[in-house]
Amino acid sequence: MAAHSSSQVPALRTQERKEVALQGALQVLAPGETVDRPDTPDEVVTAVRRIPPTPAAFAPFPDGLDPRLTAALAARGATQLYTHQAEAFAHVAAGRNIVVTTPTASGKTLCYNLPVLDRVLKDSSARALYLFPTKALAQDQMAELHELVTQISEAGGAQVGVHTYDGDTPQDARRTIRTRAHVVMSNPDMLHAGILPHHPKWAKLFENLRFIVIDELHAYRGVFGSHLANVLRRLQRVCRHYGSDPQFICSSATIANPAELAERLTERPFALVEKSGAPRGEKFFVFVNPPVVNRELGIRRSYLNESRRVAGEFLRRHLQIILFAQSRLATEILTTYLKDDFEDVPGMPEKIRGYRGGYLPLRRREIEKGLREGQVRGVVSTNALELGIDIGALDVSIMAGYPGTIAATWQRAGRAGRRAARSAAVMVASSAPIDQFVVRHPAYFFDATPEHALVNPDNLNILVNHVKCAAFELPFTAVEQYGRVDVQEVLAVLQEAGLVHRSGGDIDDEASGQWHWTSESYPADAVSLRSISSDNFVVVDQTGEPKVIAETDFTSALSMLHPKAIYIIEGRLFQVEKLDFEGRKAYVRSVDCDYYTTAIDYTKVTILDCFARDEAAIAHHGEVHVVSRVVGFKKIKFHTNENVGSGDLDLPEQQMHTTAYWLEVPVSMLEALPFAVDDRRDGVRGLAFAMKNVAQLLLMCDQRDLGLSVNAGDEETAITDAPRIFLYDAYPGGIGFSAPLFGMHAELLTRTRLLIAECECEHGCPTCVGPVGETGPLAKTVALRLLQHLLPLALGGAQPDRLEAVEGARLDAMNMERQDALSTERRDALSLERQDALSTERRDFSPGVTATPAAEDEVPF
Amino acid sequence: MLTDRLRGIVGGAVPRVAPELRPDVAGTEVPPPRTDDAASTAVPAIGTEGEALQAAVRAARPSRGLSVADLGRAASVLGGTVVTSSTGATIVVERHYAAASLHGRVRIGEVTQTLAEGREALALLNGGSARDAARDGLWFLDLETTGLAGGAGTQAFLVGCAHLSDEGVQVRQFLMPGYEHERALLLEVAAWAAARGTLVTFNGKSFDVPLIETRYLLHRVPFPLDGVPHTDMLHPARRLWRARGAADGALDGSCSLGTLERLLAGVHRVGDVPGFEIPGRYFQFVRDGQAAPLEAVLEHNRIDLVSLALVMARALQLIARGPGATRDPYECLGLARLYERGGRADEAESAYVAAVDQLMRIGRDPETCGDALRRLAHCRRRAGRLREAAAAWQRLAELPRCPAAYRLEAREALAIFHEHRVRDIHAAHRQAQQLLREAGTGRKRDEAEHRLRRIERKLEARVAGTPLWEEPAER
Repeated sequence: MAAHSSSQVPALRTQERKEVALQGALQVLAPGETVDRPDTPDEVVTAVRRIPPTPAAFAPFPDGLDPRLTAALAARGATQLYTHQAEAFAHVAAGRNIVVTTPTASGKTLCYNLPVLDRVLKDSSARALYLFPTKALAQDQMAELHELVTQISEAGGAQVGVHTYDGDTPQDARRTIRTRAHVVMSNPDMLHAGILPHHPKWAKLFENLRFIVIDELHAYRGVFGSHLANVLRRLQRVCRHYGSDPQFICSSATIANPAELAERLTERPFALVEKSGAPRGEKFFVFVNPPVVNRELGIRRSYLNESRRVAGEFLRRHLQIILFAQSRLATEILTTYLKDDFEDVPGMPEKIRGYRGGYLPLRRREIEKGLREGQVRGVVSTNALELGIDIGALDVSIMAGYPGTIAATWQRAGRAGRRAARSAAVMVASSAPIDQFVVRHPAYFFDATPEHALVNPDNLNILVNHVKCAAFELPFTAVEQYGRVDVQEVLAVLQEAGLVHRSGGDIDDEASGQWHWTSESYPADAVSLRSISSDNFVVVDQTGEPKVIAETDFTSALSMLHPKAIYIIEGRLFQVEKLDFEGRKAYVRSVDCDYYTTAIDYTKVTILDCFARDEAAIAHHGEVHVVSRVVGFKKIKFHTNENVGSGDLDLPEQQMHTTAYWLEVPVSMLEALPFAVDDRRDGVRGLAFAMKNVAQLLLMCDQRDLGLSVNAGDEETAITDAPRIFLYDAYPGGIGFSAPLFGMHAELLTRTRLLIAECECEHGCPTCVGPVGETGPLAKTVALRLLQHLLPLALGGAQPDRLEAVEGARLDAMNMERQDALSTERRDALSLERQDALSTERRDFSPGVTATPAAEDEVPF
Repeated sequence: MLTDRLRGIVGGAVPRVAPELRPDVAGTEVPPPRTDDAASTAVPAIGTEGEALQAAVRAARPSRGLSVADLGRAASVLGGTVVTSSTGATIVVERHYAAASLHGRVRIGEVTQTLAEGREALALLNGGSARDAARDGLWFLDLETTGLAGGAGTQAFLVGCAHLSDEGVQVRQFLMPGYEHERALLLEVAAWAAARGTLVTFNGKSFDVPLIETRYLLHRVPFPLDGVPHTDMLHPARRLWRARGAADGALDGSCSLGTLERLLAGVHRVGDVPGFEIPGRYFQFVRDGQAAPLEAVLEHNRIDLVSLALVMARALQLIARGPGATRDPYECLGLARLYERGGRADEAESAYVAAVDQLMRIGRDPETCGDALRRLAHCRRRAGRLREAAAAWQRLAELPRCPAAYRLEAREALAIFHEHRVRDIHAAHRQAQQLLREAGTGRKRDEAEHRLRRIERKLEARVAGTPLWEEPAER
């Protein structure tokens, strides 16, 4: 809606130059015609798709809209609305809760600002609460809304108070905001720990709360979403106490189930607004699969190097790019590479910047500004820039590695492209199984519906914590409901622990009385919405005057900041000299070296309780105890990715109880296989590796949501106990992945067999059972043999629709006979070869081999 | 099944005071002492098994609030009465501290007399104007709460109030006999507090008043303390007595009512309940209805109220009698600061002078002495008596073992004084040289260099015979 009208002619020229440059770069990447080329899975560029431009669809301002608002919008050049904005307004006016899923830069924010401002202008007592997943987003939106509100007040309209309320809000401003702000912009964490527990101070807001706006709804899935659902339960409880019944207005990226997610999170019915009326420029979407360099080992050219090459093509042509990496480490490595390629002299303005969680806010604001104003030509980022932080619209978005979900891929691609101009998105696949699947089956990505966002608001661990918070906020009545569990039973257990007390009413009347909080503690402090622990570590640089240069969350601290680790921040290398675990500090010093480190972790799982098992007693679902520990690290050389050394570490272990699906391989089945003990063990590990990747795809979850552990006995010893493959929910108490996995057991094994059997490699590669060097030379063969025995058991009585799969397994079995004949000498030769070959590509498929989360979100406190 | 899983999740959250109770085993047998986890389990001490068992039996039947008979029993254990209304019950305990009785070594009558006489001095404690002072007398408030965190889940279960009557102190405590009676308690307190005059608390501005305001907001009962003049004794008390404590260790650096009463009146509490135990005792009372353990909490609250009156009386007395009444230089310095904040500059100055004299005589604490001199100098400069201010700066600059920051400030002030006020450029030059020598590094040094250069230019100009020019005087 806002257009830069000044200097039209130079703008046009820039536009033309860019179009030519973009065309040129695409020509180099994919020679020949670039429009809707047929997919070619065997080539480097497997797909080029043209997404045609869409013209704008307008609708007039709604009749009832406050004239002051219309005037303010007109003053900004808007004389009508896009159709989706008008549709959203109509729904809200009719009292419905809505979720809007139009693309990035389609004027989504007006969908909620319009009805909110309209109401506030008509009734100055009305209040709205906006929730953003990060503080930075709230600041961004504040700036935008504030502009509109200022316009209204300067035109002689009413004063509308718009304020952010978060950990950075000064104490003396808080009282005013609590009573005066019409629109309070905050985040779930602040609502949870800073607003709801103090609701009497916010009485004015809660009494008059008309709207709750939740932006970036899709960010609330898994653990975070399950927490948010409970925070919203508490919010609505408090609203009921003050007699208000607010409407929800949500916005979300494209996911399969936006309305369902909104309904799960708020427990209210929703209307969906999904048809965008905003115009969109033409976009090219290119899939790149790095060429195979060693067919036998299934090794492809490093996807990081390939991403560097692709990014170079665009940067060289003066196009502004964003390069998304999969982990913090990969971000730093790519930043280093691009700085090497495109920055001349140190001290000059930095053209290439890194961006990730853990950078201090000031540095981030500086980078965002540089992107908007154009001095920064390329930014390498984790998913931290996936959300709607304002960095302007760039020319090209490159993804180093498949982001893991269809929704996230579109979201990242949407970071490039203005309304009228042409843009491009390039996905460079790594050799991870999911990446390879997607890059070789482009239709899966372009034609399939995006993922479902799953939440489990009734996860007992999460729910119990929020029941405590809720009891602190307002006493529970003896008939009150909360979530889908029997909250009265929860309260009874809390009473046993002395945390609540039921009082009042007639002792013989079951429905009388109230549960009151009877503890000195402030329960919200003990619950972090984002992770297991609310702790964080700070990184102190003591090269010169000691200063804090970064922070990191508790879970990733041990793998990133262990002693002797190389910590990288925007390409600068630091070595950790000391990790003060108690003090939550890591002391680092600037170093100059040509390697980086990755941590090696060790995970042990013990079964606590088995909830269910299948008839053949192979698949299980139950509760487990997980102990994990970082035990050492490897030094990896930059550029060549050689393994140049390692070290042992003695760090504290982390423990949790969670739910798991596990597969038990009968000892008799293993012993029937004509292989050596260690080969059998390798087979189990290879099977596990492939299963984990298939499970991720089946569940459509983030790789950090699911943990893998294999219990197959020690090396060089006979296998006496049945080996177990555990796939567990990587969150205490479980987040709802292992139960569906148990239900999909047969499909899981069928697809795993397909993945392994269809893979082009000979003896295993990162795309199927894992690199030969990690899982052993016969892993692929043994894994397929195991599946041959396991599948009929999993399928039970061969049902017609499953016969095909079983047939396929038989065919493969024949294939395998041939491979079994591999001579011992050949194997030895192979195992020598792998020594050097492996460390190269293995790094690539998951630079964070350790527990380092690939994705990260900015934590607003 | 669900309950077992819940127990697993909630487990470990055992309250600090209450013994671990398992309703499913209680009443059938005494829970065997667990040896594996002795630290977190309250194993009944020998001879108390019977009591623990009884407590367990009581807890096994979820008692929902106290019956009328229970209420009466609890009130009589605490020496109070039950006041009931349509909204619930409140246990009200009244105590009179007669004029002749002693609080430590101080007579209550002395306290009340000082309080009655010291009205005009009250404004000083508020740091405000006399307008608010002592409207219709004083009353004191101290809460006992279910926690320190604040927020909707922290309640005031005991509201302790006191006012002056019959030359003694009349204490009235409102105890909430169960959570369901909170509204009744709030209404009862509101009725009592209506039109009571100036409220006095200890840390009430940041703790007691906001906390109880939250309770009123929650119950949507009008807040009776809205607009009531309020004197929080914490800050004046800190000003008067913390420095002394820090110097001789008597206050352990803290400034709680407990340490103040010991320091000012030699009060030694016997069998006092430690603050951290108070919420737990109340939770236990709510569970089992046994009021006896609360007696110590009520007594604690009463002593706090009387001590609060005592602390205030001592502060008013000092203000009324002036520096001559102070017992040590720290008190004297604190008094000077109170005068200064209250806008009584002359009294402030003479108190500073007295404090400086005493501190110089002792000579042990250059830091405090430096602070006093500095404040004295500021005080005189504000009054426009620049020469006298310079004399104080001069003493500060020459003070043995003077903290560096103070000395620098003094040198700088002296340089300004000589350069701009009395125009003694040579004296200014000497001060500026000294200043540069002592300035260390950083911004201060740059400023000092700048100053010295400017003075040197002036000196040269004078030597060259160039007429002096008028300079804009520095502030």
